[in-house]
Amino acid sequence: MTNHFGDVAGHSKLIFIIGANSAAANPIGMKHFLQARDRNSAQLVVVDPVFTKTAAKADHYLRIRTGTDVAFIYGLLHVIFKNGWEDTDFINARVYGMDDIKAEAGKWTPELTSDVTGIPADKIIQVATLLAKTKPATVVWALGITQHSTGTSNTRILPILQLVLGNMGKNGGGCNIIRGHDNVQGSTDMCCLADSLPGYYGLDEGPWKYFAKSWGVDYEWLKARFAAPEWMTAKGFSLAKWWQGVLQEEKTYSSSPIRALWVQGNGITSMTQTAKVQEALDKLDLLVIADPFVNEAAVITHQKDNIYILPVATQFETEGSVTATNRSAQWRSKVVEPLYESRPDQEVMFAFAKKFGFYDELTKGMKMGVKDRQLTHVKDTFSWPDDASLEIARTIKTIGCDGWTPERLRKHQENWDMFDPGTLLGSGPVAGEYYGLPWPCWDAKHPGSPVLYDIGTAVNEGGMGFRNRFGLEHEGVSQLPDRSVTVKGSRITGGYPEITKENIETVLGIQLSAEEKERMGANWKVDFSGIIQEKCREAGVAPYGNAKARVKVWEFPDPVPLHREPLHSSRPDLVEKYPTYADQKNNFRVAVRFISEQKAQEWVKDFPVMLVTMRVVNLSGAGMLERTSKYLSHITPEMFAHIHPDLAAGKGLRDGDMMWLHSPQGTKIKVKAKFSSTVTPDRIALPYNFAGVMQGVDMSSNYPDETRPYAVGESSNTITNYGFDIITQIPEYNAGLCRIEKA
Amino acid sequence: MENAQGNAPSKIGRRSFLKLAAIGAGIGAASAFTAGKSLRAASAEEIKNPFPGSKRVKTICSICSAGCGIIAEVQNGVWVRQDVAQDHPISQGSHCCKGIDQIDLIKSKQRVKFPLKKVNGEWKRITWDQAVDEISAKMLKLRAENGPDVAMFLGSAKFNLQQAYYFRKFTAMWGTNNIDHVARV
Repeated sequence: MTNHFGDVAGHSKLIFIIGANSAAANPIGMKHFLQARDRNSAQLVVVDPVFTKTAAKADHYLRIRTGTDVAFIYGLLHVIFKNGWEDTDFINARVYGMDDIKAEAGKWTPELTSDVTGIPADKIIQVATLLAKTKPATVVWALGITQHSTGTSNTRILPILQLVLGNMGKNGGGCNIIRGHDNVQGSTDMCCLADSLPGYYGLDEGPWKYFAKSWGVDYEWLKARFAAPEWMTAKGFSLAKWWQGVLQEEKTYSSSPIRALWVQGNGITSMTQTAKVQEALDKLDLLVIADPFVNEAAVITHQKDNIYILPVATQFETEGSVTATNRSAQWRSKVVEPLYESRPDQEVMFAFAKKFGFYDELTKGMKMGVKDRQLTHVKDTFSWPDDASLEIARTIKTIGCDGWTPERLRKHQENWDMFDPGTLLGSGPVAGEYYGLPWPCWDAKHPGSPVLYDIGTAVNEGGMGFRNRFGLEHEGVSQLPDRSVTVKGSRITGGYPEITKENIETVLGIQLSAEEKERMGANWKVDFSGIIQEKCREAGVAPYGNAKARVKVWEFPDPVPLHREPLHSSRPDLVEKYPTYADQKNNFRVAVRFISEQKAQEWVKDFPVMLVTMRVVNLSGAGMLERTSKYLSHITPEMFAHIHPDLAAGKGLRDGDMMWLHSPQGTKIKVKAKFSSTVTPDRIALPYNFAGVMQGVDMSSNYPDETRPYAVGESSNTITNYGFDIITQIPEYNAGLCRIEKA
Repeated sequence: MENAQGNAPSKIGRRSFLKLAAIGAGIGAASAFTAGKSLRAASAEEIKNPFPGSKRVKTICSICSAGCGIIAEVQNGVWVRQDVAQDHPISQGSHCCKGIDQIDLIKSKQRVKFPLKKVNGEWKRITWDQAVDEISAKMLKLRAENGPDVAMFLGSAKFNLQQAYYFRKFTAMWGTNNIDHVARV
């Protein structure tokens, strides 16, 4: 999220929501959108395949065919460019590669866009006009955009729209992506991920050496922990396809098959291909589950042995910080001691690290600190979570966590009443700081950055340009902006590169002392000494540079986003024109089918109904938590599917009848038909939040005594179709097909 | 309900009050019965606060990423009452139906209460020591046979920052990049 909810409520004149149902999934976010309507007369545009509760509040609702978001946005851009409504000054000054976007948009006339997306041409023109004439506008999305085989392109085309409109770096503008779980932003930043180290440093040798140093361990020791050095720098298996590491039906590339699965707080049915997940679980040598509630991994498997469940404390029985969707860090105090025999997550890790023989190495970083501008051992004991917080602060420079000391975060919590909800700006004891120090928070004096890429605000007060991340030049074109893009209060006029030890004297026009040179790290990302940031502060400069935004990613399969039909498309005629990618040999250690799956047969003949997943207001994620609440589960006690009466009539189904839904991969689920006009007769919508029943078989007798949730049901993910994004491997949840049969 | 926290209902918006009242009704009725027939006079202190000596702990909802504030009232180590945080800069006293039920989440009867092991299709209660001993022995045996990539670790979007950072470090020191969590999906 580039801005924050209060900023939307206070400034946005148009809220463009695509692939997000905030009224159900994030009701307090939705409240802010409705406030914007009251306060700024903001118009609400909602684009969704289903008429959601959010759509019910919209001024303009556009019903889109699943998997056509890129085409739709190009349709809007076509109208905008054709009329010269783009923000030329903004584009010329701050964007690289827009001509390629313009060329692609040229193809997407309202008529063509309408044919591909199912949205009427006049509606496309109307909304494009509205976007062009209403500033500032914010764009909001969630999993309806990301969960596709084209997820990466989807998430790129929307910021491109905002760059074209000049809505970035402005109050009331920006891209406000609504994350899911309470700390999914923080767990991403801190990197429970297969393709990076914390802070998006990547997996190359350089980052590993940097982290080894920060952790206080010998790099060679760390390297020797891996199967071989090449596996240390290779992405691991992902959540999306780890099960192929067990089953090995598709070609895998790893040093070992997966024989043990360790699940510490991740609903197993929240990923697609649940039937395959079940097969993989059945084949494991060891399944370790550490959760406050019984993870369905223990329930949907047929295993009779080799499963352990460890009771873990909830977040109210431990202490630490969490990152909200707007990048604010909030301190969460412990409410009560862990109940029963449960232990907080870190204690589970510590207990096993002792057995695995690396407890000292694991905890050593908490006994270190920066003294005399050098990282060194500073004490013999540690205190959780404070010392872990300090370790994070001194290490994660890429996104600017330097200022996130536990003292400051606690102070923000104690004084949360002193922050203005509209600006997040504090007063009194927290004067001049923004609530939760939204990252980047470059150092211990920095107030946090409530609105990203705002050059009208000084860096030391939360402003910045775009990050210089992709070199200084591409095809002979400078990636730095001209003089017109000078960040307020900066010593440097116009753009500047990211700051390194090599360029700091030239770029900032300073002279370093011999001692400073000796202590300084190679660049701003790895400088424990803090000297680079100190010099940047004096110059009013963001250490990550001030560059142009690029809309062309030259290293991706699609340098500019392209519309590609879903693997299981409802429009085979369009598959010929807009085919998916070539099959992928190896991503996250496993092969991924694209074109071979798309072309295997004309899927829509046997599976004529589009399949969309959705959320209900009373459940979140795979529903593991809320289905144990009597009150919440009572609202939706059983699994169902929204089906249009006309579609149902053709199948002989009455409201409340049970039906089988069959997927292209040969799986099926039995669910209740719920008549609804939120869907059209060409599609059905399934809640994502149930588990415990597999292809008609109730597995809930596998719950240990007194742990069965109040509601169990078929998981929609048993039939969500095969398909994964080519970059991130996020599964396809929302553009699949199915066949309906009366049960 | 309305006077339990010393707040006049007029301070709460009518709609939110009705919502709160609806949720609170069940609990209120149950407490009235458990109070039983002993009709002693409530002390002045109890009228002011039915949980004498309680403390109010500021914390954050653990459901979605909006980051709503929660005031947890704790008496003798028990979370006795959840209050909306009227002065929280993001939620300003609002809660969704999931957030307002956080107190019940932690006190849910369905919690995992002790370590469990599945033996020949039956769940057996075991001690933490036994669980840690057995699991680590099995993990180390698999590691010896196949190397560290033999395991897949799934972390959590419910971890706090410190736990998430340490889980990444934990898997690195085990020797694998087979680590992921629901941010992928």
